[in-house]
Amino acid sequence: MANPEAKSGSSLIMPGDATSTCWSCGTMRAEHFCSACGKVQPPVPVDYFTFFGLPRKLSVEVTGLEREFYQLSRKLHPDLYSGAEAREQQWSLEQSSQLNDAYRTLKDPIKRTEYLLRLEGVELEEQSKSATEQARASGQVKKQVVPPDLLEEVFDLNMQLEELRMQKKLGEDDPSLIEEIGRQKLELEEKHEALLEELKRDWTEWDHAVDSGSEEERRKIRDKMVDVLNRRNYLRNLVRDVNEVLESGS
Amino acid sequence: MAYSDKVLDHYSNPRNVGSMDKNSQEVGTGLVGAPECGDVMKLQIKVNPQTQVIEDAKFKTFGCGSAIASSSLATEWVKGKTVEEALQIKNTEIVKELSLPPVKIHCSVLAEDAIRAAIHDWKKKNGSANANAPVPAGSQASH
Ligand code: FES
Repeated sequence: MANPEAKSGSSLIMPGDATSTCWSCGTMRAEHFCSACGKVQPPVPVDYFTFFGLPRKLSVEVTGLEREFYQLSRKLHPDLYSGAEAREQQWSLEQSSQLNDAYRTLKDPIKRTEYLLRLEGVELEEQSKSATEQARASGQVKKQVVPPDLLEEVFDLNMQLEELRMQKKLGEDDPSLIEEIGRQKLELEEKHEALLEELKRDWTEWDHAVDSGSEEERRKIRDKMVDVLNRRNYLRNLVRDVNEVLESGS
Repeated sequence: MAYSDKVLDHYSNPRNVGSMDKNSQEVGTGLVGAPECGDVMKLQIKVNPQTQVIEDAKFKTFGCGSAIASSSLATEWVKGKTVEEALQIKNTEIVKELSLPPVKIHCSVLAEDAIRAAIHDWKKKNGSANANAPVPAGSQASH
């Protein structure tokens, strides 16, 4: 459930506010630079999509984003401002670091999705806590956010990993266990990939809904994306742990 | 981040690690996870059918120190309680006992979820009469 309050508490402002009056020539509306005199502008606390002048959509064309990033980072580079006023130096520094954060977040498909969900007021941990409180109040069992068989799988594989770690410590690892874990690792990686594909399909729906969907539709797609990310989190950790154990000390 | 002494104590010397036969009629098993971090926790209880007292509890957690400490503490707390008493345990009590910082609250939530899930499983095994847990007064929740 998205919390409608969450957004109002954030310091991010809406796209319309991304532009302002140039401090130097005083007339033009400007973004990173004044479009009239070209001076670097003080950074405005905008969200990362707005920073790049993008709508809050998820199918981002990464090559275009990259091009934009390099262009801006060249123009904003603090070295260019070593002879400028102190405040310009400061602004170019701040703009550069905002640029880097924005780029790093938006180019990564998962980070981008998580970021958008946060902008949309989705608070994962809050959701989990309030579900527990509800379960307590109603005497019911809390519904787990991922399917039970995924939890089983995670648990069982962790047990095997623990055993293998132990064996390695004793210097007597069992080849059949290693083989079994290796096989599961491949399966995990496939599933992990498949979830990214699923997420990309959700993006398309989301982007569509941004233009023409009802709030209800958008909420549904948000929930779907949260669900994919939750499942993917478990798999990501597992893949990481499996690699760690398989690579250690052998 | 600094762990409290109590967390460290449970972490380096966890109580009741292990498992019980999940097919036994007297055993309830709860397996829960925290999607934020991908950690998983299994908690099992063994209930005396006559008295409804939880006579034994075991856990196994793959997760952070706070999750291990929370589940270790949870097994200690549920032992000797009746099922209905155990359902009253709140994550906030775990937070307090272990002095968990705000970022670790979800670890204690996991432990409460695990207790509930284990009890739910046990009730399911032992007849639906028990599975319809009494709804606390004031709550309109229907089953
Ligand atoms: S960090 Fe996730 S359970 Fe503790």
